[in-house]
Amino acid sequence: MPGFEYLLDALTPLNILLALGGVIAGTVIGSLPGLTATMAVAVLVPVTFSMAPASALILMGAIYTGAIYGGAYAAILLNTPGTPSAIATTFDGFPMAKRGDGDLAVTLACLASVSGGLVGAAFLLVLAPPLATVALAFGPVEYFWLAVFGLTLISALSEGNLLKGLIGACFGLLLSGVGVAEISADVRFTFGSQVLLGGIETVSALIGLYCIPVLIDLVATPDRHLKVTHAPRGFRLAEALAISWRHKWNLLRSSVIGTLVGILPGAGGSIAGLVAYSEARRVSPRREHFGQGEPEGVQATESANNATVGGGFIPTLVLGIPGTPPDAVILGALLIQGVRTGPNLFTEEGSIVYTFIYGLFLATILMLPAGLVIGRYAYKTIVTVPKAMLVPTVAFMTLIGTYSIRNSVSDVIIMITLGVVGWILNRVGFSPSPIVLGLILGRIAEQGFVQAWTIGAATENLTGMFFGRPISLGIIAFIALSLFYPLVRARWVGRRRKIDAD
Amino acid sequence: MNLRKLGLAALCLALPLSATVAEDSYPSKPVNYIIPFGPGGESDITARHQQPYFKEMFGQDLVISYKPGGGGAVGWSQLNGMKGDGYTIMGINLPHIIIKPQQKDVGFTTEDIAGVYMFHYTPDALVVTEDSPFKTLQDVVDYAKENPGKLTLSGSGKGTANHLAQIRFDQMAGIKTTYVAFKGTGKAVTALLGDQVLAEWGYTSVGAAHEGKVRLLAVAMEERHPKFPDVPTFKELGFDLVGGAYRGIAVPKSTPEEIQVQLSEMIGKINADPDFRARMENDGMALLDIDRADYQAFIDKQAEAYIAAAREAGVIE
Amino acid sequence: MRTEAVPGAGGRDLGGMVACAVFILLAVLALWDTTSMTDSDSYVFPRTVALAMIVFCLAYMGWQLLWPKPPEAGTAPPGSTPRRVGLVLAMLGAAALMPWLGFVICGVVAFGSIMALAMYEAWTPRRLLVYALVGVAVVVGFYFLFAKLLLVPLPLGTLFE
Repeated sequence: MPGFEYLLDALTPLNILLALGGVIAGTVIGSLPGLTATMAVAVLVPVTFSMAPASALILMGAIYTGAIYGGAYAAILLNTPGTPSAIATTFDGFPMAKRGDGDLAVTLACLASVSGGLVGAAFLLVLAPPLATVALAFGPVEYFWLAVFGLTLISALSEGNLLKGLIGACFGLLLSGVGVAEISADVRFTFGSQVLLGGIETVSALIGLYCIPVLIDLVATPDRHLKVTHAPRGFRLAEALAISWRHKWNLLRSSVIGTLVGILPGAGGSIAGLVAYSEARRVSPRREHFGQGEPEGVQATESANNATVGGGFIPTLVLGIPGTPPDAVILGALLIQGVRTGPNLFTEEGSIVYTFIYGLFLATILMLPAGLVIGRYAYKTIVTVPKAMLVPTVAFMTLIGTYSIRNSVSDVIIMITLGVVGWILNRVGFSPSPIVLGLILGRIAEQGFVQAWTIGAATENLTGMFFGRPISLGIIAFIALSLFYPLVRARWVGRRRKIDAD
Repeated sequence: MNLRKLGLAALCLALPLSATVAEDSYPSKPVNYIIPFGPGGESDITARHQQPYFKEMFGQDLVISYKPGGGGAVGWSQLNGMKGDGYTIMGINLPHIIIKPQQKDVGFTTEDIAGVYMFHYTPDALVVTEDSPFKTLQDVVDYAKENPGKLTLSGSGKGTANHLAQIRFDQMAGIKTTYVAFKGTGKAVTALLGDQVLAEWGYTSVGAAHEGKVRLLAVAMEERHPKFPDVPTFKELGFDLVGGAYRGIAVPKSTPEEIQVQLSEMIGKINADPDFRARMENDGMALLDIDRADYQAFIDKQAEAYIAAAREAGVIE
Repeated sequence: MRTEAVPGAGGRDLGGMVACAVFILLAVLALWDTTSMTDSDSYVFPRTVALAMIVFCLAYMGWQLLWPKPPEAGTAPPGSTPRRVGLVLAMLGAAALMPWLGFVICGVVAFGSIMALAMYEAWTPRRLLVYALVGVAVVVGFYFLFAKLLLVPLPLGTLFE
């Protein structure tokens, strides 16, 4: 094991305390809709000035890990992704909660997050420098195709409603254009309004489209929010462990997918979760149950998004290019401490890096007990609190959470408006997920497209640019696969049945 | 003088306790430093550099918060609506505050911004990868002359310092290159390192952050940068290109003049600290000492050059 | 204005079709806005997307006309409409008034009104007291968490400055 000598450095009482404290704080923060890991890490930066670099990294990494896991609570119990990485967790997490298996879902999410985090950290430990070169090979074209892939996935997931999914995705894509365009410095779709100048912020749209409709419906009926068919029976840990073991390949595969997507700067946990979910669904014999509360779905997304933590550190530490927004803040903090990132970091400043990576392992492992306990309390609270307390508290949290993203009241108003729109769209059969993903991926898709076009036009090689690069071709193949595989399979199954019947 | 005394007296009567206390012993509570961008960017990092010195010299915390959106426009458009008691300050960036209001209605005008200090700039630099075939600036110019339009350069955004540098240099050298805009310096550097483009219009800070992986071919400064003594300036090579992204601090217009002057001196004091200067220079920044008195003249001078270049680029009409 | 999934009308997804019509209008609006953009890079993507959206919407509407499929949602939304509207208004009101009245006041008022809207059981004096206290505690608690710990500049209300 590389850098083994630093394992003990990671296990100092201070570092253990930082790891544990960080994970707990991160989990709580990530579970509150509107509070992001980035915010949590940014607030702690001044605190880290007085710490040794390795300890500072461990603290920030622990918070980051906890926050990504914490996003699952709101996703499962309130159908609101606490962070964008948890979007795909709502697909099966919330149905599970509605049917009374919320505690199982939360425990599964914990186990999956821990597994994903460990796999991501393992890749970081062993394969960081070579994997970082993969990050560089992803140019604008690849990002464009990756974004298109994400959008076809989400449309394909809106089964039977492919058109509605595509329309929703287009709506999201248009929303992503509101405000100042990065690629041209033009101001678009604001119609002269100051409020829209900053664009539609992703997390506020997330909360608006997912959470507000839930609140609107909660207020309207006296029924309980989540069905509780039995007294909360502990963690259901044994059950969750059994399920996790049964689907261990799902966990492993999703974690690897998450790590790889995490390596791509700017791709994000949302794409990781989505790709992992889609793959899990494609190969699972229980694919019809996905979307209605299938544990495999929750496992796939939660392990993938926690794997992006370790994966995201790869380009951050090796290339000095942040993999995700919290990585950018962490990088800034390191810079101020005088730590230079780069491949040399692993050889010359090995003490910092390896101590940190082992600390990350430690934090992830500590997340298991901490996460289970916090999860249990979260579940108990949401399930037993009377509606007249739950609804105002959640509504209030969305107000303050959305405000604090950009210290902007406009964001809050946009969130509520989108909430009403989302509720209406829900009633007529449009799901919020394609819209949100269109919003997130729209920026990536557009920038990738325009940049690729500019470079292609300059080098007079447009077709080669878009269709001639090996990685792009691979992604295009996946797009084709996800669009046509269900059709092909249905045909094949149909033919099979005919043969058997004859 | 009388008017000023009258103004101060009115202030004492109109505002509650905090204002009078502030006049006597500003700063007497933490100062809110708003960065109109997201965390982790260059503006954030330079603010973080200032943070400990502020605390040490003036005894109060400098609390950094973020208000991203519109490439800074959201923050700047809200600045003058904030409380003008000296406890709210905001980072400002050139060329942004000059170019943006010229494009569309962004909620503020350049004249509206009450700047108190411009404390540093990241000088423009032409960056290539360590193993690039371009060894000198002349190589780049030659290549561009032989292959008009084929030289792809990455940079952060359009209508930004990087973009304007590309336009001005193209004019001076009589060449035609293709600028590819990326969201932020980080992405522009990634594109360079991944060989998606042939070169980058970046800053000296890029050279510092990615030492060993990139080379600077020239810097847009009056004299060579202390951290890169081997890199010539554009001026030496015959191109009158001096500039970069400038950063400074502004306050709401309504802030009393006394406090504005005091703030200007405070930032100047931080800027003069040799330790601070060393750290900033080590990260590839260049320091500037434009205090409040010189601010307007500086803005006017920069505006002339920027607006002409932006018009050329089609960024503004 | 609320579109509801209405059964009948030939078993068509009327709500969905109305939504599609609205989306087409939005797409046209977007296309109109692109005409004011100076840089060609700005409008390439939005135009493509807006056109695609129009195509998809027309396809859906056409599909429904030719092969009508009743909507899944079926009936009018169960439950009380006034409460729903009340919730939205309470939140919008809190957000809009925050810059003037400050965060704590708006938070408490919003909390209280939403609590009343979500209350289906009888109000006993004890319940009233407990809930009110908890409400205030939640608002104040979060205020401290965000304003003091996370250093978020929450609006304090221009009326009080």
